[in-house]
This record gives sequence, C-alpha cells and structure tokens, in this order.
Amino acid sequence: MHRRHFLILGSVSTLLPALPSSHPASQKLAFSRVRETIFAVQKHMFPPHTSLPSAQEVNTIAFLEETIFHPSYDKDIRAFVIRGAHALHQKEKGRFHIYTSEKKEQVLRRYEESEKGRMWLSRIMILSLEALLSAPVYGCNPAKAAWHALQRNGGMPEPTKKYIYG
Amino acid sequence: MNIPMYDAVIIGSGAGGASVAYTLTKAGFHVALLEKGDFLKRSDFSKDELAYCRRNIITPDLFNEYHIIAQEKNAHWVETPTYESGWSFWNGNIVGGSSNLMSGMFHRMHPDDFHLLQKYGPIEGANIVDWPITYEVLEPYYTKVESLIGVSGKFIPHPFEPPRSHPDYPFPPTKENGIVTLFDKSCRSLKMTPLVTPRAILSQDTSDRNACYYSNYCGSYGCSSGAKGSAREALIVPALSTGKLTLLSHTHVTQLFSSTKERIETAQCINTVTKKRFSISGRIFIVAAQAHESVRLLFNSASRFHPDGLGNTHGQLGKNLIFSGGGAGEGVLHTRTLQDISPQILMQPGYFFNRSLLDWYYVDEWWDGYFKGGLIEFMFSHANIISQALRHTYHDGRLQWGEALATRLQKTFTQQRAIRFEVFNDWLPTDKCFIQTAPNHKDIYGMPVGKLHIWGHSHDMKVGNYLAQKATQILEAMGAEYIYSDISATPAPNLIAGGCRFGNDPRTSVLDPNCRVHDIENLYVTDASFMPTGGSVPYTWTIYANALRVADKIVAHLHDL
Ligand SMILES: Cc1cc2nc3c(=O)[nH]c(=O)nc-3n(C[C@H](O)[C@H](O)[C@H](O)COP(=O)(O)OP(=O)(O)OC[C@H]3O[C@@H](n4cnc5c(N)ncnc54)[C@H](O)[C@@H]3O)c2cc1C
Ligand code: SF4
Repeated sequence: MHRRHFLILGSVSTLLPALPSSHPASQKLAFSRVRETIFAVQKHMFPPHTSLPSAQEVNTIAFLEETIFHPSYDKDIRAFVIRGAHALHQKEKGRFHIYTSEKKEQVLRRYEESEKGRMWLSRIMILSLEALLSAPVYGCNPAKAAWHALQRNGGMPEPTKKYIYG
Repeated sequence: MNIPMYDAVIIGSGAGGASVAYTLTKAGFHVALLEKGDFLKRSDFSKDELAYCRRNIITPDLFNEYHIIAQEKNAHWVETPTYESGWSFWNGNIVGGSSNLMSGMFHRMHPDDFHLLQKYGPIEGANIVDWPITYEVLEPYYTKVESLIGVSGKFIPHPFEPPRSHPDYPFPPTKENGIVTLFDKSCRSLKMTPLVTPRAILSQDTSDRNACYYSNYCGSYGCSSGAKGSAREALIVPALSTGKLTLLSHTHVTQLFSSTKERIETAQCINTVTKKRFSISGRIFIVAAQAHESVRLLFNSASRFHPDGLGNTHGQLGKNLIFSGGGAGEGVLHTRTLQDISPQILMQPGYFFNRSLLDWYYVDEWWDGYFKGGLIEFMFSHANIISQALRHTYHDGRLQWGEALATRLQKTFTQQRAIRFEVFNDWLPTDKCFIQTAPNHKDIYGMPVGKLHIWGHSHDMKVGNYLAQKATQILEAMGAEYIYSDISATPAPNLIAGGCRFGNDPRTSVLDPNCRVHDIENLYVTDASFMPTGGSVPYTWTIYANALRVADKIVAHLHDL
C-alpha cells in the first residue's frame, strides 16, 4: 500500500482516532495534548548515559514540534504523528509518560506489533535522529555532541539558516 | 501590452539550457533564460542534510506539482501520483538545475554507442536506432566541456576509452583516498583495469572558481567553492557578465504559443512567487527543462496548428523515454579486518574514491557471449549522517532504541565504511516506456502533469546483473563484508533522457539532427530528451557537449535570420 493511502485510510479505521482537522490551529491544539507522550517516547528511545546525547538533554521534542509544523513538512505525516500519539495516549489513559522504563518498553513493543504502531514509532525515530544529527542551526545539536560521539562532521560550510531561507 | 523580445528564449537553466545561453551571449545575442526555481549563489550553499536531502526545498512541493508514475504490475499498469509515493521526479529546481547537485562523475559515450543497431543488431521488444551523428561530430564538444565546465582526470589507455583529440585532461585528478591502493591491487589480482574517474570538478583554482576543498558532501549538495562544474558556475555566471543575458528566476513556463504553424512566438510564463502571468517573445526558442518536463511542455503547448502537441505530427513525442539501466550495490570494510591500508586512511573523510571500470563496456567472451555491457563506478557510500544512521535502526525486523541503538550507531560509524558501486548500462528504449500528460491531474498552475510510463527491458536486467557480479568480485577481493547488489527496473530519477528523439526521418523522430523540432523552424530542444539511446554512462557530459554543438547551429541560424 502506498504511504498516503496508509496514512489516510488509517483515519477511518477503528484503531486510531480520526485525523485532527488539517487547520494548523486545531492541529497545534491536538499536538499540545500529546506533546508529553511523544517526548516520553523520545526519552525512552534516547535515554541518558549512552554514547549519544539524550532526548531530554537536547530537547528533541522542540525540534519535532517545529519540524512537523514547518511548511516544508508533509501535512499528512504531520497528522499521522499527532494521530499515532493520540492512540498511544488514549490506550494508556494519558499515563504513558509516568510509567517506569520497563513498562514503557513493554507498551511500546506491544504498540509495535500493529502496523500503524510500527510506522508511528519509526516516524518518531526518524524525527528524533533528525533532531540529534542535524546541523547546529536546527537547535538540538548545538555542541555537535552527537556528531562527536559518532566521530563525524556535518560538512562545511554549516548552514546558518534553517531550510536555506531561515 | 509590451512583450519583451529577445533573440533567444531558453526554458530551463540546467546543463542543456545554460550551454546555449553561454554560447549565444558570447556571440553577442540577447537571451532570456527562464528558470522556475530560485537563483541560489555559491555563498548560499551549505551542507544542510535536512534542507538539501530530506525536504523539498529546492524542488517543488509534491502536493502542488507532481508526476504520475505508471508501472506494470501483474500485467496491469498501476498509476501512482508522486505526492502519494513520495518518489519525486524533480531533481533540482534552481538556477543551474540539477547540475548543481551532481556528483560530477563524467564519462564520454563510446563511438560505438552512436551506432548500436549497426554493431549489435536489433533486440526483440526494443526500439534501438543509430544516432544521426557520429562520435567524431561530438568529440570537439566533449573536449570543449573539459576546459569550459572543468573536467579533472587522468587518461589511462584502455580498449574501451573513447578516443580523445587531446592527450589528457586539462586538470589533474581530484585527490584520492588511500583506499585506491587496496582497490587497484584487488582489481589487478582479478585481471581488471582500474581507471581514474574523470570528474566535473576543478582540482585546481581558475581565475573565477576555486579548487575543490573536499567537503565530503558532494552529490546532492551545491558547491560553495565553485569547483563543481554546474551550469550555474561554469556557464550562467560568465554569460551574465556579458551583459546580454536576462536571467528570470522564479519563472515557470506553462506553454509555448504561436499564431502560425511554423514558428513559436511567445513563452507563457508565471512568476512562481507573485503568481503574475506574462509572456516573453523571441526569434528562437530553446526548451531544456529536463527530458520529462520538456516533453510535458511540448504536449501542453498543443494548439489548433499542432493539436497533439508541438513536434508530435507523427505521434513520436514522449516515446522512447530512457533512464540509466543497472543499479547499485555495497559492501562494508571493517577496520578490524582491513588489509593493506590503515584504519585511519579508510576513515579519512573528504578525498574521493575515484575509480571506475570499463572492462565490460563491450562484452565478447566465449562463455558470456557478445553484447553491450556498461560502466561500473566505485565510491564511498554517501556521508549523510542522518540517512546513514537511519539505515541501522532495525535489528531482526524490530526497531532498536536506547543503549542498543546508541552502541550500534557508534560502532558502525567509527569502525566501518561502506563501499558502494553503481552500474550503468543501457536502458533499452521500448514502446512501453514513454511520457504522456495526465489531463485529469493538474499542477498548481492549472496545467496537466506529466505521466511517466516506466518499464525496463529484461535484457537491461541481465546486463546489469552481469556487471554487478563483476563489481561484487572486487568487493570480495578487497575483504568487504555484507555485500549486496540491487539491479532493477526501478530507475534513479536523476538520469532521464529520450522522449524527443533526434533523427533524419520526421516520421520516426521529433527533432532533426541539429535538435530542431522537425516542423517548427524556430524551436530547439537541448536537454537529454534528444537521445535515442543513452550509452552506458551518466548523461551529463553528453548533454553539455550536444547542447554546445546545437548552440553553434543556433548562432548560425540567428545570423541567417
Ligand atoms: C544528486 C544528483 C547526482 C548526479 N550525479 C551525476 C553524475 O555524477 N554524473 C552525471 O553525469 N550526472 C549526474 N546527475 C545528473 C545531472 O545532474 C543531469 O543529467 C543534468 O543536470 C540534466 O541537465 P538538464 O539540463 O537536462 O536538466 P536540469 O539540469 O535539471 O535543468 C532543467 C531546469 O529546467 C527547469 N525547469 C523545468 N521546467 C521548467 C518550466 N516549465 N519553466 C521554467 N523552468 C523549468 C528546472 O527547474 C531545472 O532547473 C546527478 C543528478 C543529481 C540530482
Ligand atoms: S568542494 Fe568539492 S566535494 Fe565539495 S561540493 Fe564542491 S566539488 Fe564537491
């Protein structure tokens, strides 16, 4: 199935709640309700004390929010990110972020068993790695800690404006 | 309303369009160069993976401008809009076109590529024809490209290297990573001849462009030193300095218009920022919007004089679309098991791999048979950090995270380097691979979008796999692990040609041998759409050379008017 079919059909299936309206203001509101859940997932994916900076340390959720609401971002994927988070939020009765690490692992692995859950987690992973590994101008890699951990450099000249135009 | 009038109006500022703009302005003619994208300068280009490689910033938003891709699945054509699949067929929509973003691996076509039918005979299901010109006609222009665009290299005699009128390249090869010691040794142990890849990259400063500083991020990125031989650096900037060039960026051409059958009078334009519509007139028009978009423009310019589109009197427009056959493969060198070179050398960023093989460009072996083969190009896997990391997030079919992911990424990035090969062989032209427009699908400007029927001949797959096997042997000899190859009929969208074949017979071609539309006296097409067959090399050197050749014909034409 093509990506867009999947994303759109997802909205009429019972597993996930309906697409938030495509109006940016209502999407912003919908996002604000699940921001904590998404950040909790990111923090679980990138915990402290590994060789990479943690999601908490570099505030990956700020990048995610700014990214999905940027005009260059695919509007259907934006809706999918919010919708998938709502599904998790509702399933766990809004408590995901206070679970223990073991419980979070259990819940996410269960979520991964459904195709939509798997795709959603994969999307959160993409957005988190983009946050950690993009150029410093995007905000989550200011001291290039993730690049240093991987012994890589992003190339010169570094961007001074986001998405070319700032 | 006053419509500005130029000697020539060029649509598309990439390799095909800029070559003509350069030649005409140097000859003193007034030229309007119309480009739908922005004019980014050298100083605007950074190594921003998000902007250049992961978002549509320098290509249109696929919801506004898209293509329909038709592919055969179980004997049915399945049509998918690219906004749905995300498979974009825009390749770089800025002044200078996709040449800004190329990796610059440059190869001439071989003299025999110009008469493939004569040499190998027909292949069932393929529309192979000989070119109406020979290598000898194009050779002076291939040579001109070497100095004008800037090609660095080192000539190594080889039976399948095309003959050269100059003994060697004007610029020495770009610097090489020490891995070439291991590569060359492995090739020789297999009785293969490693060649230094020529590159459209300056290895030395010139008066107005700086040499390559080995940024490690070349393909898919614009060049901030001016070293890369993009149409913008090498042709448009010098053309602007003549004072004869009017460069209109953000100018999308929707149609060519005329009130007679024989001539085009105006280009209908829209400013992509202000959305204002306007017209530009000229004595001669040149279309170079990249093969598939040039074909679309000719279809969309249908009028009562040309009801099926410009150049389509004999139903040839859009036919015989070709890509580059072949595919790619990879193997991983681990610092732990490295032979002959040190881990520090392997992991050193910046310098190029710079090796290619022409040993099977033509195959004539008792065991394997007699057929046209192709080129194999070797390189390091792209340095992009985010996309490399994303390739390592799954383990046993499950997403990895936490400590396991961090450790894996660190090991992968610091202890191993992937070597990639790309196979280039002919994508045979067939009746099943062509371009139309899709009347029910319109872009943001209200024009039907292009529909690309993509179909690869099984012969291409056989040749591609044959070459991939040879490449794999080399990776094995180098000690690489996890070797795989992927040869398929799913093409890379950045090498696209055909759709406006040139030829002597108007019944079987769209353009005459000088790339002028057969029945329209002032309309030329100078991107890769003229190519009846593609050779087995990346196209851009040939696009530049042919466009420079045609530009000389246009200068003569303008003098005659
Ligand atoms: C990442 C990448 C790597 C590459 N690497 C290599 C390589 O190593 N070697 C090689 O030989 N080739 C390479 N290529 C391919 C090479 O860039 C192209 O073959 C070449 O640039 C094509 O030239 P063109 O003039 O046909 O099209 P382009 O250079 O794409 O120019 C067409 C221009 O027309 C403009 N345009 C389109 N429609 C309209 C319209 N309606 N109105 C106004 N303007 C319009 C476009 O915006 C574009 O700027 C690479 C390409 C990419 C993207
Ligand atoms: S500096 Fe060299 S490697 Fe970097 S983009 Fe320019 S030509 Fe390519």
